[in-house]
Amino acid sequence: MSKPSPEVYEQGRGMDAHNQAMREIRARKDETHDPTEPTRVWLDEDNTPDGVYDSLTIILNTGGCRWARAGGCTMCGYVAESVEGGSVSHEDLMTQVEKCLDHEDEHGDEPAGQVKIYTSGSFLDEREVGAETRQAIAETFADRDRIVVESLPDFIDAEKVADFTDHGLATDVAVGLETATDRVRHDCVNKYFDFAEFERAAADAADAGAGVKAYLLMKPPFLSESEAVADMKSSIRRCADVEGCHTVSMNPCNVQRHTMVEDLFHADGYRPPWLWSVCEVLDDTADEDVLVVSDPVGHGSDRGPHNCGECDDRVQRAIKDFDLRQDPSVFEQASCPCERTWEEVMDRERSYSMPLAR
Amino acid sequence: MTDYFEVHDRDGAARLGELRLADPVTTPGLVDDVLADAGSEWTADRQIPEGDEASLTVLPHRALPGGTPEEVQAAFASDYPDVDYPSAAVVSPDTAADDGADAYVLSTAQSVAGHAEAFVDAIVRTRDAIPADSALYLPGVATPGNVATLAYAGVDLVDTDRAVVKGTRGKYLTADGEHFLEDLTELPCACPACQGPRADFDREDCVAHNEYTLRAALATVRERIRQGRLRDYLEGQARHEQWHTAVFRRLDRQYGYLEQRTPVIRRAEITAASDDTLRRVEIQRFAQRVTDRYRCRFDNPLVLVPCSARKPYSDSQSHGQFHDAVQFRAHTVSMTSPIGVVPQELELTYPAQHYDSVVTGDWSATELEFVSDVLGAYLRENEYPRMIAHVPAEYRPICERVEDDLGVEFEYTVVDHPTTTDSLANLASALAGEDKYRKRERQHNTLRAVADYQFGRGAGDALFEDIRVRARYPKLKAHDPGGEQLAALVPQYGVLSLTLAGARRWVDSAAPTKRVEIDDFVPHGSVLAPGVVDASEAIRVGDEVVVEGPNAFAVGRAEMHGREMAESTRGIAASVRHVAER
Repeated sequence: MSKPSPEVYEQGRGMDAHNQAMREIRARKDETHDPTEPTRVWLDEDNTPDGVYDSLTIILNTGGCRWARAGGCTMCGYVAESVEGGSVSHEDLMTQVEKCLDHEDEHGDEPAGQVKIYTSGSFLDEREVGAETRQAIAETFADRDRIVVESLPDFIDAEKVADFTDHGLATDVAVGLETATDRVRHDCVNKYFDFAEFERAAADAADAGAGVKAYLLMKPPFLSESEAVADMKSSIRRCADVEGCHTVSMNPCNVQRHTMVEDLFHADGYRPPWLWSVCEVLDDTADEDVLVVSDPVGHGSDRGPHNCGECDDRVQRAIKDFDLRQDPSVFEQASCPCERTWEEVMDRERSYSMPLAR
Repeated sequence: MTDYFEVHDRDGAARLGELRLADPVTTPGLVDDVLADAGSEWTADRQIPEGDEASLTVLPHRALPGGTPEEVQAAFASDYPDVDYPSAAVVSPDTAADDGADAYVLSTAQSVAGHAEAFVDAIVRTRDAIPADSALYLPGVATPGNVATLAYAGVDLVDTDRAVVKGTRGKYLTADGEHFLEDLTELPCACPACQGPRADFDREDCVAHNEYTLRAALATVRERIRQGRLRDYLEGQARHEQWHTAVFRRLDRQYGYLEQRTPVIRRAEITAASDDTLRRVEIQRFAQRVTDRYRCRFDNPLVLVPCSARKPYSDSQSHGQFHDAVQFRAHTVSMTSPIGVVPQELELTYPAQHYDSVVTGDWSATELEFVSDVLGAYLRENEYPRMIAHVPAEYRPICERVEDDLGVEFEYTVVDHPTTTDSLANLASALAGEDKYRKRERQHNTLRAVADYQFGRGAGDALFEDIRVRARYPKLKAHDPGGEQLAALVPQYGVLSLTLAGARRWVDSAAPTKRVEIDDFVPHGSVLAPGVVDASEAIRVGDEVVVEGPNAFAVGRAEMHGREMAESTRGIAASVRHVAER
């Protein structure tokens, strides 16, 4: 199996163009961040294969995504949330973890059963988080039930994953697969790996006793509403067929700062997905043998997934309800006249006529 | 090759066309029922579709929406196959090129609709990049309110998508704008969807109404194009929404784009009801030609007179009175809004007898500025021994402005109104002692002036140095000394139509000839576009053209502009008046 790396894959013409454009776009950002502060930390609730858990969610401030430095994904603005210069020391990272634990002490009743760790890039990329830090973090959370770490598939191997499973932690590796369709992932998202690499990573994670959680991106740029919905349905079904992939988290695309998606959005060339589309996908794939959840970020705003402005909160609640109960009947209770508009958009919008409705 | 689209009629950048499918679609029109989308290549690799004669197949595409960075557009721009069925290619203004398709789908339509500057830029750039005889489709943007603007800019194909989507949102669309359904006390429409009681009218009815109204708006546009009067409609209708008005004003500034597409003569009358009329191509072109090309050949004094409502001016009662006072002792030039100045020889020439303006006795600042600018430019080019201004008080500010600008002085002869006995007596006595010019001089100068206007500066002398004039004004005919007819003045348009002998003179003269080069056939009646090998860029619809090929020499009138003749694969390029075999 060939190992695509950012360097090798960059040879493609479309990728060169995307990367060049994204570098220019990202260059507009000039913020810097404190390497001893985590990017974000919060407490929430997640449906997992072992039931619903309280989660401590951490976004570590690491050196940032290596791929994003080359240009990176068309919708991702997280690279802007990394420190200047590129790398953060073991000591600084552990200080960030301490601060996250302080946050949990302050805001939670008891230590969360699940810990989820993200970076702006890949937690298992040793250039972002060294082996020493990874092992220390595994040690820190060894008393929890479950841990989720996020990584691009090429950094996933059984040995790294074993750092967590060896502590008896139920471990999930979260992968930003975005879509099971290679063509869409490459040309619309500008993410360099293939679905086959995701399958390989899932198999390696399974060898170490870990599961895989796939993150999918609903409605990357250049896709119409109906194409985006169709892409999600088929992606969920293909993920369900991957051994070890027990959960799919579908993220409706939101417009992040300093991204190509934002440029398109400003030029009226992009609209985030309708929340009805999220409902449609969840409803349609409810019977699949995989846990499907979605936590629309920025719902109801122009930059986030939204409907008409009247029903967004209601529909968002139905989606969150579905996340926890996996019962598609929740969608029957959410209705709004704008569903009719959405139906026409689904029927009529083409990638050359979008967005047909804002 | 554009095989399945043909332009039948033109009105500026707007065209009346035909999508030649099994069931033809008259354009500007809707493509909802005939469009077959072969799909996006962003999501999958696509086979070349089978296609069929009944539908317009959108070839597999990677659509590039507004905001797509240039390098990404360059990397992902689609290559389109040559197919032998009706096809459309998806392009952005940056990637537009001749892809061999019958129609082009503009992928940035949503970005530019509503933004006049971006819209005009996108349409002008795209139109200039795709073949002249291909259709331009703007998907997902048409409303009853904007279709006239879209068509005026050069859009041929639209769909009902936006009208339907707006309907589902309770937006009630009309040609004069958009209303929230709940704000309407009654339904200002008589379409089938609006027949029931207001209280029962729901969003589904609103969808149906929007579609009906869009269809009606398109029919209005098509009729206006047939009449050559879309601009007159638009100057009123576009005012209901700012961006529509901004579009036609910005297009007026894209003079080259509109001028190329605007006929030099036509039957339709110009309604001069707003200051915007002054910026029409027809008006600007007349003013430009009168100042740049025309030259006064009379040695007599100038008499400036006000225009008359009746056209040509010489048919009016007031001009009859001026004439009686002047008695061929002066060169009469009419001052008018919106045309500027009209020398007596050009009173028939389009649009000098083809406009009607709103008369209130007051001039707007824009009109004052326009007419004084034209008069000033005219007087810089034409010198007179004396200048008499026989004009009413409201014309005085124009004359005074020109006096200040040029350091000249007019003799004013009007005391209260130009046609009163006192004023006319003043005019007659001001000219006492001036020589009369002869009828022959008047007739020769008229033919030469029209030639200057039509063919370029100096053309009157180059073509008609040694002529005999036959027949009576306005049906003047120019003959050579041997008696062979060279040209006739067409009273309806005030332009010359040439005979073969006249055309040969034109070819041999220094005046720039507008030529259509054809293949080895002898045209009768008309020259079709596929037979055109090349054509002068400068040719406009209505222009006299010389048609030349290995087997024929002919003269006729252009039905397309020059670039369109050279690029088109369908349609009539020129109608032929006289032809000789070689």
